[in-house]
Parts: sequence; C-alpha cells; structure tokens
Amino acid sequence: MAGRPSIPTINSALIAIIADEDTVTGFLLAGVGNVDLRKKTNYLIIDNKTTVKQIEDAFKEFTTREDIAIVLISQYVANMIRFLVDSYNRPVPAILEIPSKDHPYDPAHDSVLSRVKYLFSAESVASDRR
Amino acid sequence: MAAATEEHPGSTGFVPRAAEEVEEVHEANEEERLGRDDDGDEILRFMDSVDGHLLLMDSLSPALRRGWIDLAGARHWIGTSRVSSTLFDHKEQSAATKVQVVDSADLQSSEPNPHFVLSKWHLQEKSNSNDAVSAQDNTKPKLRFRGSTTFPEDGSHEADVAPAESWTGVDTRSHVQRARSKALSVFGALVSPKLRTSQISFETALELIVELANSRSNMLASFFQIKDG
Repeated sequence: MAGRPSIPTINSALIAIIADEDTVTGFLLAGVGNVDLRKKTNYLIIDNKTTVKQIEDAFKEFTTREDIAIVLISQYVANMIRFLVDSYNRPVPAILEIPSKDHPYDPAHDSVLSRVKYLFSAESVASDRR
Repeated sequence: MAAATEEHPGSTGFVPRAAEEVEEVHEANEEERLGRDDDGDEILRFMDSVDGHLLLMDSLSPALRRGWIDLAGARHWIGTSRVSSTLFDHKEQSAATKVQVVDSADLQSSEPNPHFVLSKWHLQEKSNSNDAVSAQDNTKPKLRFRGSTTFPEDGSHEADVAPAESWTGVDTRSHVQRARSKALSVFGALVSPKLRTSQISFETALELIVELANSRSNMLASFFQIKDG
C-alpha cells in the first residue's frame, strides 16, 4: 500500500526487562541478559529503593535503543509511569505488561487493551450510528 | 405513426442514460457491499486478535508462576545468597536469546505491523538464512479456531518444542544444553534442579511473550484499519 511505513528487518534484537528481582533473574536464566562494552544492561531490577525517575529513565532508554525489540515491564511498575507507557505508540520495540509475583495481570490497566477497548464501548457504537 | 417515429429517436436517446444510471447505482451498491464485507473481515480479525491476546496472557501467568515457585524452591535449598541478582556478572556478554523483527506481509494494513521471531540460545544464527523469508511468509494474521491445541491450559508448549526438535540434531541439542548450563553457572558449578526447572519455565514464558508481541502487533494493525476505515 502506498505510503505505508515499513519496519526495517532486525536479525538479532534484545528483550529488555523492567521488573522485580525474581522475574529478571528468571529471564536472565533463559538467556536474555546482555551487557555491552559500556556496561549497560538490558534490564532494570526494581526494588523498594528504585525511584520513579530511574524507572522513567530506563523506560525511555529501552524504548529509544535500536537494538531492543521487546520491552517487558511488570504491570505494577508500568502503573508508576502510566502516563509514559500510555503515550508510547511506536510498533518497535513492543511494550508488554506482564504480571509479577505479588500483582496479577489486570487487562483493564493494560495500555494497549485500554486503547482498543473503546471499539467495544457503547459510546463508539453510538457515535458511528450518528 | 409519423409522430411516433419522430418521437422514437428522442425516447431512444433517453433510455440509455437511464440504463447507465441504473448500472452506476448497481456498481455503487456492489462496492458498498464489498466494503462492508472487508470491514466485517477486519472486525473479525480484530476481535480474534484481542481474544488471542487475552488467552496468551492467561497462559503466561501460570508459566511465570511456575518459574517463581521453582526459584523460591532453589533459594530454600541452596540459600538466598546463592540465588541473587548480586551474582550477575557485569562483564561484557551478549544475550544468547534474542528476537528477530520482520515487517509483516499484511499489506492491507496502513500501519506498520512488525512480526517477532524468537531465537533461543543462538539457535537462529545457526539455522538457514531463509528463516527471515519464511517468517515473513507466515506473518499474515490468520483466524484461530477455539478448541485447537494452540494454547494448552497447563501452559506447556510441546507444539513449540516439536518443530525445534525436527530441525535440531544431536549437536544442536548439546549446544542448547551447554548454553543452558552456562547461564546456570552464574549460581555455581552445582545448581539445584529447581533452578533448571525454573529456567525451562522462563523459556516457555519467553515463547509466550513473543507470541504476545505478535498478537499485540496484529491487534493494533486491525484496530487502526477499522478506525481509519
């Protein structure tokens, strides 16, 4: 289709993680951990000392890096920077909100689902009919 | 008779115009019907992708839970300090599990629609270079059928393991084992079996996550198609 923006093929991109220690540990066991020459990692472990600013900075960094294809973020962490997550609208990297040990996944808070759910709402149907 | 003949050319000129108008109206109706059919297909695809997304998320939670429980079990057996993020090596290292991103073949969508392919333990780098082409061929979203074995309730994914097994030989299996052992070696030479099962659980979770990324991508593409249409 003319004018459709294309996605460049990336042959080996990373999965970034912003989550609690157990979740990060588990995914590192699965081999996603990466440390580059400048000692920058593709993960941020959230504990009770982590500030919202640190989470924001990590989210902004991971979503602007060209070598990252997917950013996993625990939903309770995403709720701390909800305005930032909801305003993100690029196709790559894909942002996925995942459950954590103490906070189950709630589809009502998911940024993508809340964006598309308006198609199911009565107001959208009524406005289309008008 | 002469009057009727004289009138006939005039009436003959009028009739083709009416026929053209009827044909134009018919074509417009046909285009509108086809447009409605396309919209209907897109809405069906969108609802299917939302349903698939929610099902995948339901499968992800048990996989992660198994991983967390096994990690807690490993901590219980070998001690909290032996299973801790402080043991992570901050020396330069490349991730063994990565993702390949290709543009979806769905050209009907006006929005970019990336497709993600998981590459575990460097396996994709060892396979054929045709993988990117075959991945692109499989990116057009297809409707799922409920009741299929795609999403087993226990969260296990033998379906994902079987295709890998079909093109991995003994060498690749041993390569995967070595890669897994290397990842576990952060926690010492002798690791608890719970750590090994936790590793498998998180690998399963990763497969689900990549499927989730694809379903998210399809969902957003259908959403924008419906919104703009």
